[in-house]
Amino acid sequence: MHEAWERAKACYQDIPIPEELDGAVSAALAEGKRRQGRRRAVRRAWSGGLAACVCFCLLVNGSPAFASAMESIPVLGQLARVVTVEHWKVEDRRRVIDVRMPALADTGNTELERRLNDEIRAKIDAIVAQAEEEQKNELEAYLATGGKWSDYEPLILDVDYEVKCSSEQYLSFVITATRVRATSYTELYIYDLDRATGADVSLRDLLGKDWKARCDAAVRAGIAKRTAEDPKASYFTEEGGFSGVGDDQKFYIREDGTPVLVFEKYQVAPGYMGIQEFPVEAE
Amino acid sequence: MDRVQENSRLVADYAVAHQEDLYRLAYSYVKDRDAALDVVQESIAKALAKAGTLREPAYLKTWFCRILINESMDYFRRGQRLVPLELLPDRAADPGPDPGERLDLYDAVDRLGEKERTVIRLRFFEDLKLEEIAQVTGANLNTVKSRLYKGLKRLKTWTGGDLDDA
Repeated sequence: MHEAWERAKACYQDIPIPEELDGAVSAALAEGKRRQGRRRAVRRAWSGGLAACVCFCLLVNGSPAFASAMESIPVLGQLARVVTVEHWKVEDRRRVIDVRMPALADTGNTELERRLNDEIRAKIDAIVAQAEEEQKNELEAYLATGGKWSDYEPLILDVDYEVKCSSEQYLSFVITATRVRATSYTELYIYDLDRATGADVSLRDLLGKDWKARCDAAVRAGIAKRTAEDPKASYFTEEGGFSGVGDDQKFYIREDGTPVLVFEKYQVAPGYMGIQEFPVEAE
Repeated sequence: MDRVQENSRLVADYAVAHQEDLYRLAYSYVKDRDAALDVVQESIAKALAKAGTLREPAYLKTWFCRILINESMDYFRRGQRLVPLELLPDRAADPGPDPGERLDLYDAVDRLGEKERTVIRLRFFEDLKLEEIAQVTGANLNTVKSRLYKGLKRLKTWTGGDLDDA
């Protein structure tokens, strides 16, 4: 090749590589896996819903025993599922907002269904309203301090959900609200419901009375394992590090019924580690 | 193993092994360290999330490249900071007799229009074949060739050098 090109290529290869690149790549891989999980979960939920409808029609027609068994359905019927009731987007110079609002459907218990769905809607409306309010104030401050309109980066808010478990016993789903400014931050709202009672499932229900000890052990083991396997992984060790689960510990229920503890960004590890999840496996 | 899983592994391995190449390519577009890190991060996350759409593992490199370049261009669109290069007057180097006055080839590449620049960068800095560049850019081979020669011609007038034997 011509020597002028060799020189130019050498310049290109001299572009310095920042040391954060490793961390950024690890975080990206984790984020990609998370997005993958979300799509699959939704697809699964859909096909599950469809299959349930089909079976229902067939069995009711075909079997008197099934029809009478339907009378003793639990509070949250087997058909209860999470569906998208609203999907909207706004996109302009100030903000890019994308909301997929979930709701319970076909629970067979309209009172409970309405209460939970109202709660979800109120929560999401509040998130959107707060984000817009903050964006407005921030834009005013930005323009007042000489910021240029042409350089303004809009607020990005993405509200979505993921069904983690829809088994005979449990219905577990996670609502995520991700805001992107200079960096992104995701808030999580998790619902874990027992189909038999319609009530929230607690970690004590799932793990027994020594649930705290089991959760703590699972998190500490998980941190030790990941740190040993991946030299790029790091967790806060002293101030601000993991110091045992509290009564308000967030978790979702995995397809097989295993509770998975969820820690938001910065909760137990530096930001590039993103959201951290630790399953508490059966003993 | 299903295709999504298999592809995810390929994508993750590729991203880790070629992270520096990905960063340089992103940087050559956005010219900013933090922005380039963001672009790389978002491209890898996207690639992994879309791993199921990669039909032929042999195209992994060009497929990844395409995501990265799209993401780099999106970065400008989002920030609306892009002044389309086509609208800029040609800032040709002063064709004076002194070669020292002429533009350095590396800087000159940055002054090309987006399409020609992409072809030149992938061809000479990333050593892609013209067929691969066609896959990355979604243009057909003849278009890629014509962009390459147009780009080379411009670079030649700007740098005053002889660049043909590439």
